[in-house]
Amino acid sequence: MKKILLVEDEQPLCLLYQEELTAEGYEVMSVHDADSALDSLKNKTFDLIITDIRMPGKDGVELIAQIMGLRKDVPIIINTAYQSYKEDFMTWAADAYVVKSSSLAELKAKVRELIKD
Amino acid sequence: MSELRKDLVSGRWVIIATERSKRPDDFRPASPEKKESASVFCPFCMGNESKTPPEVFALRESGTPPDGPGWRVRVVTNKFPALSPGAPPPKSAKGIFQWMPGVGVHEVIIENPDHDKELSDLETSHISDVLLVYRERIKAIEEGLHYQYVQIFKNKGKEAGASLSHPHSQIVATPIVPKRVKEEVYGSERLFRTLKECIFCRTLREETSLNERLILRNDRFFVIAPFASRSPFEMAIYPLRHSPFFTSAGEEELASLAGVLKTVLTRLKTTLSDPPFNLILHQAPNPTVSQKAWPGIEQYFHWHIEILPVLTKVAGFEWGTGFYINPVPPETAAGYLREDK
Repeated sequence: MKKILLVEDEQPLCLLYQEELTAEGYEVMSVHDADSALDSLKNKTFDLIITDIRMPGKDGVELIAQIMGLRKDVPIIINTAYQSYKEDFMTWAADAYVVKSSSLAELKAKVRELIKD
Repeated sequence: MSELRKDLVSGRWVIIATERSKRPDDFRPASPEKKESASVFCPFCMGNESKTPPEVFALRESGTPPDGPGWRVRVVTNKFPALSPGAPPPKSAKGIFQWMPGVGVHEVIIENPDHDKELSDLETSHISDVLLVYRERIKAIEEGLHYQYVQIFKNKGKEAGASLSHPHSQIVATPIVPKRVKEEVYGSERLFRTLKECIFCRTLREETSLNERLILRNDRFFVIAPFASRSPFEMAIYPLRHSPFFTSAGEEELASLAGVLKTVLTRLKTTLSDPPFNLILHQAPNPTVSQKAWPGIEQYFHWHIEILPVLTKVAGFEWGTGFYINPVPPETAAGYLREDK
């Protein structure tokens, strides 16, 4: 089963994404901040990372830069409520940028596209 | 007493504080801007080509394949663009509100593979390569005819809007001619009718004779601190050869401009401790559009480059009035920038 690391500080959203992605057949581990994500990446392997940007502590852009120092081969999806971070070229380290909406169709499509069988 | 000065072309007014003028030391940061380290990660560095969209243009060592190492200057489309390529559909309207789909081009020019080498640190021949890439991209985008204006700019430093310190420039092409460009075109046309000559050529003559704001002049270019500078230590670079289109610059002209850029950017760096700045290329709109909308533009518009150090804040007064307050008279700024340290 393909493993996804979900980095999302809002608990209700975290539960929603976890439920929807598990239903799609993925194993999802969720953490609520960047430091916990980095710890998880040191101990476990994942096939995909989904990260929010605005989080307490390090933001998602800083997290992505640090992930690149650990693992460049794991695809990353930025999942944020804000378009404005597209102007930060560090987000190019990610493979996709999804703006949060009530429909998870785009997020699920990007997950399918980036997780290789 | 301060002075109110008018920029003739745009019609913009500026308040120049002639008393208690600030010195370069007043603008030196308490500590230099902290740059992100290339050792963390940078999508623009050599070896990370897979993190950018495929290159649309590159100057690279012969035999090296695209999207791998071996490049000197590399152009890629914006990975997450605000505007998408395509033919612009007509404008729509609902009542008084007008809109059109966000069509356009947004490309990034990565000026060199080395994260820590700014434009002014490069060899003149490499700066010339960057300018050549500007020219070639403008030509290619204008040939598509979808885009009425191609804007090239460079943001250096966080305060100037750069999100990464790896030296880069950007190209944004829009399906309409932006307001500020139109103001410059209309302003220079109006002045041409009055003066019977190009306002920029006239400025060159008068600035040379006054020699108060002239910073540098060689056989192809002159650099001044503009009379109505908006920002302290603002500079404008004009070619001596009159032309509205940057794309008309030949290789010798670009090589000369590269030398001028290296000199003035190095002086800016040493005078003001490496300040953030915006560099903006001003040129006439797409020639096909220009010839239809502004017949005679060849006579009255003159391409140029503006360099605006970001040393003061634009706030409520500036947004409300369009006035800028500049605490350093351009004559004083030119005095510092003329000095070869």
